[in-house]
Amino acid sequence: MTDAEGQPPEEGQAGALENLGVATPELTRREFLYYLWASSMAVFLAGVGGVTIWFALPRFREGEFGGIFVLPIEDIPAPDSDPMEFAEGRFWLVNIGNEILNDPRQPDEYKVNPGIRTLYKVCPHLGCLYKWVPSNDRFECPCHGSKYLKSDARIGGPARRNLDQFFTEVLDASGSVLVQSEPTWPGDRESTAVPIPPGAVALRIDTGRRLDGAPNVKPGGGL
Amino acid sequence: MRIPRPKILSLPFLDDIEEKGVVRASTDLADDVVTRVTSGLNITDIRGVLRGDPAVRPNPRLTPHAEGFWLHMKPTYYNNLMDGLYPTFRLGWLATFFFAWEIVTGIFLMVFYTPSPLVAYENMLNILSNVPFGRWMRDTHKLGGELMVLLVVFHMYRTYITGSYKRPRQFTWATGALLLTFTLVVSFFGYLLPWDQLSLWAVTIGASTAGAIPIVGTEADLLVRGGLEFGANGLLRAYLIHVILLPIIMIILLGVHYYKVVIHGHSLPPEAEEPSVDTARKVPMNVRTYFMPKILTRELVYVAGLTLILLAASAFAFGYHAPLEPHADNLVTPLHTTAPWYFLWIQGLMKLGDNFIFGVVLPGAILTGIILAWPYVEVGRNRRYGKRRIGLSIAASTIIGAAILTYMGTPWFGVETSPDQEAIAILLPQTSPGPLRLSDWDDIPYGTYLASEWESAPTRTTSKLLKTFDQELEHASDNPLYGDVEGFMVVEDWQTDLKKITVRIVWVDPETGAPAEFSEIFFFHRNSDYGQGE
Repeated sequence: MTDAEGQPPEEGQAGALENLGVATPELTRREFLYYLWASSMAVFLAGVGGVTIWFALPRFREGEFGGIFVLPIEDIPAPDSDPMEFAEGRFWLVNIGNEILNDPRQPDEYKVNPGIRTLYKVCPHLGCLYKWVPSNDRFECPCHGSKYLKSDARIGGPARRNLDQFFTEVLDASGSVLVQSEPTWPGDRESTAVPIPPGAVALRIDTGRRLDGAPNVKPGGGL
Repeated sequence: MRIPRPKILSLPFLDDIEEKGVVRASTDLADDVVTRVTSGLNITDIRGVLRGDPAVRPNPRLTPHAEGFWLHMKPTYYNNLMDGLYPTFRLGWLATFFFAWEIVTGIFLMVFYTPSPLVAYENMLNILSNVPFGRWMRDTHKLGGELMVLLVVFHMYRTYITGSYKRPRQFTWATGALLLTFTLVVSFFGYLLPWDQLSLWAVTIGASTAGAIPIVGTEADLLVRGGLEFGANGLLRAYLIHVILLPIIMIILLGVHYYKVVIHGHSLPPEAEEPSVDTARKVPMNVRTYFMPKILTRELVYVAGLTLILLAASAFAFGYHAPLEPHADNLVTPLHTTAPWYFLWIQGLMKLGDNFIFGVVLPGAILTGIILAWPYVEVGRNRRYGKRRIGLSIAASTIIGAAILTYMGTPWFGVETSPDQEAIAILLPQTSPGPLRLSDWDDIPYGTYLASEWESAPTRTTSKLLKTFDQELEHASDNPLYGDVEGFMVVEDWQTDLKKITVRIVWVDPETGAPAEFSEIFFFHRNSDYGQGE
């Protein structure tokens, strides 16, 4: 500690400050080692913080959420009928027909094709479960009032995207895939509806594979 | 007569008895114990405090402040001007009292509570119906928490309005801003514990808000929720945060907050000192009110009064009772789900647009950024009301803003569903028991009733229900999509002591003439107890 005492002040800033009457004692070995120790402790504590978060993150068993649902083709709703709810899979099945395709409320930005769409039951706004309101012919969220068409398109409320969808395939009798849903939006979003070709016997829905709805931010729906 | 005693043990008390006799030695011992426990006041001093005698010199009533733990957090004397209601209204003290109240009632509730989705709701029913004073404990815990939020907010406004946050008290204010935030957050996590529909969905909304933060949002959401949806992990997490983590942080913050008050002294009413001068630290001898006995008595009177109000508010049947909705269900979100009232302003913000900006950035900036940093930004020294017109106008406009945003957070803003569902929700709401479930079972006789013919209903109860229904149906009739709207209530004898009540609306589509209907069925048992015993 006494090493630095009695030595002339170095040139540069320290000297300049001393000229102003501000005493700036020089860095001693002891002080330097303290800083070194403190920074190593800071790095260590940052590591502990990271480990704490890692520790507290929930662990999932495989298949704990999501799963494969296979539905016989007879069970799916008719085109343009009311959506069908599958509570255990957390989804709605919608069969898009001409009426939905020609719905004047549908924003132009989003392509809709005839077929089956599997909509994730959870509102993309803040996680409530939206419900089907037949007399308004749309989905409505009971929490903050986001509104969606059967097609998945948001047409009002505070949500910022269309409804999320699950990956859906159509299988034939041998179990091979005839059609599958494909993303239509950059970043693997907004899946196509799957048409039901002749020879189809079942629908396979993988709720472990979710595609976010396309961004939709305008007051009446649209980009 | 002296009995010789072998000096094996040195026991001063026995020596005292030898010297002074049993009575005198015992009272001296009692005096000594009292002095030690009170850190400096003996029995005579305490009697002097209680009798309101002027303090002797040197004043023994100062010693507990200097040497004791509890009173070192309290100033030894106050300025005479700080003795009455104005300017502090004792709001800080009352908020502290409620914090203690929540800890005490919380521990009672913990005795009968297990944080598991399997039994939490059952525990609630047990607390409500079986535990002596259980329901009262729960009611006052809930009411106390809500009053604490109110008191902390009032305390903040009071500090702001009197300009007491200004130099040198900026840091006191900053710790207070943190305490406000933690008060809100600790209430939020407590909300989940009853594991009913109300709690599950309110907290789901909150956790989803955290999920809106870019990059770390998903992890933040998972940390709080303990999974993809609230379940055993999430409930346990909310419980631990509510009963351990946040109370510890708040106790530490409260210590810092109190210490700063002692250090700086209570800021005087703005009109009592020269503008821009802080004279609170040095209180002249002739204007001092000592903590003991006057301030102490007042604080105890306030607390006693508040306890009485709290007790009375929830002890009687017509009083305040913490609601308990049906068991939490991850598959159904009730219509008109809302956050607790003190978070409605955030819900109102979040109906405006992007979750991250309106749900995280803005509330976060308001709570921790703007409020906390305010005294370091607005550095004008003058505390006179007349010289702070802009500052006081800002405070007034925040109250108006909060009121508007709170309204926007309610279901009446932007969440209406179809008129048919709304009309049925008037009788059978999904977030509270509502008029039909709370009716007297015997007052709803069997039969089919038309809402429009409410005047000819057989009982007053039925008539009132039908009238409410009929008034709400007018919204449907006003809607061009609904023609020939009619509402029914069908009451059937379903089983012994069980009525099946169907509330139905029928209408025709004015364009196509196609009939439509919407109905909800409610099974009403003679012993149904939606009003928790009333």
